[in-house]
Amino acid sequence: MTTTIDATTAPEDAAAPLPAAPTPPAKKRKLKWPGFGIVFAVGFLGSLTFLAIFADYLSFIPYPDAKIPGPDGRPGRYEWGPGTAAWFGTDGVSGDVFSKVIYGARTSLQVGIFATVFGILVGGFLGVIAGYFRGWVDRIVMIITDCLLALPALLLAIILVDRLSDLAEDASWLGWLSRKWTIVITLGILATAPLARIVRAQTLSLREREFVLAARSLGAKPGRVMFREILPNLIPAILTVGFTGLSILIAAEGALAFLGLGVEVGTPTWGKLIDENRNKIDEAWWATIFPCLMLFLTVLSFNIIGDRLSRRFDIRQAGV
Amino acid sequence: MAGTGKAHLRDSPDVLLRIEDLVVEFPVGRTGLKVNAVSGISLDVLRGETLGLVGESGCGKSTTGRAIMQLPRPTSGSVVFEGSELTRLTGDEMREARTRMQMIFQDPISSLNPRRKVRQIVMEPLNIWKRGTDAERSQKVDSILEEVGIDPTRAAESQPHQFSGGQCQRISIARSLVLDPSLIICDEPVSALDVSVQAQVLNLLEDLKAEYGLTLIFIAHDLAVVKNISDRVAVMYLGKICEVAPSDVLYENPAHHYTSVLLNSIPVPDPEVAVTKTAIEGEPPSPVLPPPGCRFNPRCPAAQDICRTEEPQLRAVGDGHFVACHFPTVTPVELSTR
Amino acid sequence: MSDLIQASSRDIDGPLLVLKDVTTHFKTPRGLVRAVDGVSFTLDRGKALGIVGESGSGKTILSRSIMGLLPPRGTVRGGSITFEGREIGNLGRKEMRSVWGKEMAMIFQDPMTSLNPVMKIGRQIAEPLQIHLGMTKQNAWATAERLLQDVRIPEAKRRLEQYPHEMSGGMRQRVMIAIALACGPTALFADEPTTALDVTVQAQILDLLGEQRRDRNMSLVLVTHDLGVVAGHTDEIAVMYGGKLVEKATTKGLFANMKMPYTEALLNSIPRLEDRSHTRLSAIAGRPPDLVNPPKGCRFAPRCPYAQPKCQNEEPPLVPTAEDPNHLYACWYPVGSPENTEIKVRIAASKSEFAAAAGGN
Repeated sequence: MTTTIDATTAPEDAAAPLPAAPTPPAKKRKLKWPGFGIVFAVGFLGSLTFLAIFADYLSFIPYPDAKIPGPDGRPGRYEWGPGTAAWFGTDGVSGDVFSKVIYGARTSLQVGIFATVFGILVGGFLGVIAGYFRGWVDRIVMIITDCLLALPALLLAIILVDRLSDLAEDASWLGWLSRKWTIVITLGILATAPLARIVRAQTLSLREREFVLAARSLGAKPGRVMFREILPNLIPAILTVGFTGLSILIAAEGALAFLGLGVEVGTPTWGKLIDENRNKIDEAWWATIFPCLMLFLTVLSFNIIGDRLSRRFDIRQAGV
Repeated sequence: MAGTGKAHLRDSPDVLLRIEDLVVEFPVGRTGLKVNAVSGISLDVLRGETLGLVGESGCGKSTTGRAIMQLPRPTSGSVVFEGSELTRLTGDEMREARTRMQMIFQDPISSLNPRRKVRQIVMEPLNIWKRGTDAERSQKVDSILEEVGIDPTRAAESQPHQFSGGQCQRISIARSLVLDPSLIICDEPVSALDVSVQAQVLNLLEDLKAEYGLTLIFIAHDLAVVKNISDRVAVMYLGKICEVAPSDVLYENPAHHYTSVLLNSIPVPDPEVAVTKTAIEGEPPSPVLPPPGCRFNPRCPAAQDICRTEEPQLRAVGDGHFVACHFPTVTPVELSTR
Repeated sequence: MSDLIQASSRDIDGPLLVLKDVTTHFKTPRGLVRAVDGVSFTLDRGKALGIVGESGSGKTILSRSIMGLLPPRGTVRGGSITFEGREIGNLGRKEMRSVWGKEMAMIFQDPMTSLNPVMKIGRQIAEPLQIHLGMTKQNAWATAERLLQDVRIPEAKRRLEQYPHEMSGGMRQRVMIAIALACGPTALFADEPTTALDVTVQAQILDLLGEQRRDRNMSLVLVTHDLGVVAGHTDEIAVMYGGKLVEKATTKGLFANMKMPYTEALLNSIPRLEDRSHTRLSAIAGRPPDLVNPPKGCRFAPRCPYAQPKCQNEEPPLVPTAEDPNHLYACWYPVGSPENTEIKVRIAASKSEFAAAAGGN
């Protein structure tokens, strides 16, 4: 006998004329307006990134160190408000605020994204191994993250930037560690702790799930269980935290710049712009408000995208 | 140790799995107390046999199943599977040994990774052990999926949540079969399913068992289900074995008072019968501080003083029928007549 | 004993609950899901009704429709639901609030998630009493203790001070029942109340429900997939399939004279203790119908062993049997009819032929 399946054990699908379509019908895939928020967020970040990358080749963006002559023909302080001469006005050194905002996006976005990636890689790794192995691994990781969380973040950042800069000066092999990368690493370390905690908590609950037990009972090694079984289930949580963290880190870079711990002199960032011009907000609001607005819209866009992505990755909602 | 006994263990060359004095304890937080999940049980399973493990929640039946797989390793005792002592194997040797025995879990949806395609899930064991070429793996997975009644093309593009509970259980069964194990431990595989689907899955297990020459350990709380699929049933209560018997004997001639309770609790789909039955009062006590003597004594209708102080040993009451009770409902046979 | 909290209007004549052509449809991206499709029945005061069916048969949705517990968004409701002579099918959440607890109460499958984990048991029972019945705190806690005694929880006083995690699953389900009974409802809906419990505890909980129903002259609606559960604990049984009522009769009448092949199949799929072990179970092949595109004729036809061409094309109406006007069924060739017997004989013949052929190989 080739098969033992008879009429009474007939597989569920064989007998029923498959009422539930296995694949969704094609017409369901028609384009749908995804909502104003997400369109705005993607559009805004897309155009900002485009402008920042190609600023050097776009004629309508002056170089950030170019001096815009005032109405009297000579450069001066805050001479133009927003208008045709300078879209976002000029700042205290006759620089074009629009140009500085665009060039500032280069540094700000880079710092934010790289610091977040650093935080996700390190924090995610620590969180997964702590949650999966428990025991002493867990205890050590928790001590590290607790210390990072217990110290005031700003104080920690100041100390870290300071120490890393000293290191870069002393050690020749750290030549690549410019001020920008120092800040990336500092902010990345700060982002590690909360990410590690969240990933650990998720891992703790996932490792008790039966599919993890099933993988172990199939003889899978710990590495395989962590990366093939647990990690895919962590992605939504990591994405949500990552995108929220990204916005916080961009703002944090501003805060560091505010304290004079910004990137190299001459490289504009949003934080530095705000810092330099905030004293004159009464007479020249544009020099402060526009960088603030950019920061705000960027943070908002990342949050909208993060929210949408995590919903997309939620199996139950995406399945409908 | 009292209350356990090994009178029921068989001395046969066909023994596939033999557990002796298995103890599993878990610490309760940092209180210094411990949960006595399994307190010294001995069991054996012959090749091709289906052993049923039945009892209320907290009786240690699932823990026993997992302890056999060494997930986690038992506190003490011995587990001999296909001639090798599993408790003494190193981590890597144990991983290798686990391919010979597989597990099916209660929650069909939770036991499949929600983020992977069903076909991938079933193929995973072959990928882990790098068995065969890609083409051979595909062929094997497809044929097993067909066997359990899942369309392979649909499995290739769907995730577990797109299947019903019964289908997910079929997928779990398919996954457990791809490595050609000799033993499958089914941990409440049908408890979460509707009766109609339950019957489908039970029939499927019987068919596959015959076709692949499997040995099954079937864990459940419903004696009617266990009886249907098993050759031999062990009734557990609070980490101990109460009674071991061939399944028909257990139903016709229960020797332990607890077995009678379990039999009486099963709802009978007949309005004329159901009203006359009496259920047992109360629930099992906590396995943290189990009662002394026979662990069933606080709920037992026939409990005497001796039951509160002395733990009964398993002894024969019939052919292949053993009971751990001072006052069994069946007269014990003399040990010499065995 | 608990006369204090007995509802006063128990003696109105007529049935307690009347359903007329009740429909509940859900709007989903895939289309309209006809979860409950034209169900009518009546439930008398103090009676126990079992609603039986597989998952996806609409039994849970039906009980929640009666309770008015479905999310208003995307739900399309139709038909009429009369409770104590009052139409409740179209009431909003606000009006239903006066019905919940005092008139109708519900217990759910999972006693773990239906209790608040950070609140003491006593408070969870007493609070609704204080709010709904305006009892003083002292009075409410005294009543709570008595309720716990009613549901046979030992050491009720001590248990009031405990949190849900300190209790076993069976104890939690008893607490859920106590909470449901607190305001003295006229009807209690139990949705798979014992599915998450052990068989021993299941028997206890079912007995408890029956006992409370008799003591309080309360109606009980027991929703389950297991005919074994309802057999000993209900007066009437309604069998649902694919959102439709397919058979309804008194419990005794149903088991004595099953008409619908689906009911018969459900009964036969239960493993019987008295059968030898390894007796092959008669499973129902296939799956419940897709409620977006239900089959044209009888909804059970694709899985029915006795299905004939007529079953695929024409939907059978719900009709009474010749012997009992209260025994309703929806089938063209009911079990026991000459046609059905003939089909059965034919199937048996082809089966033995098949077996002979298989044996010959």
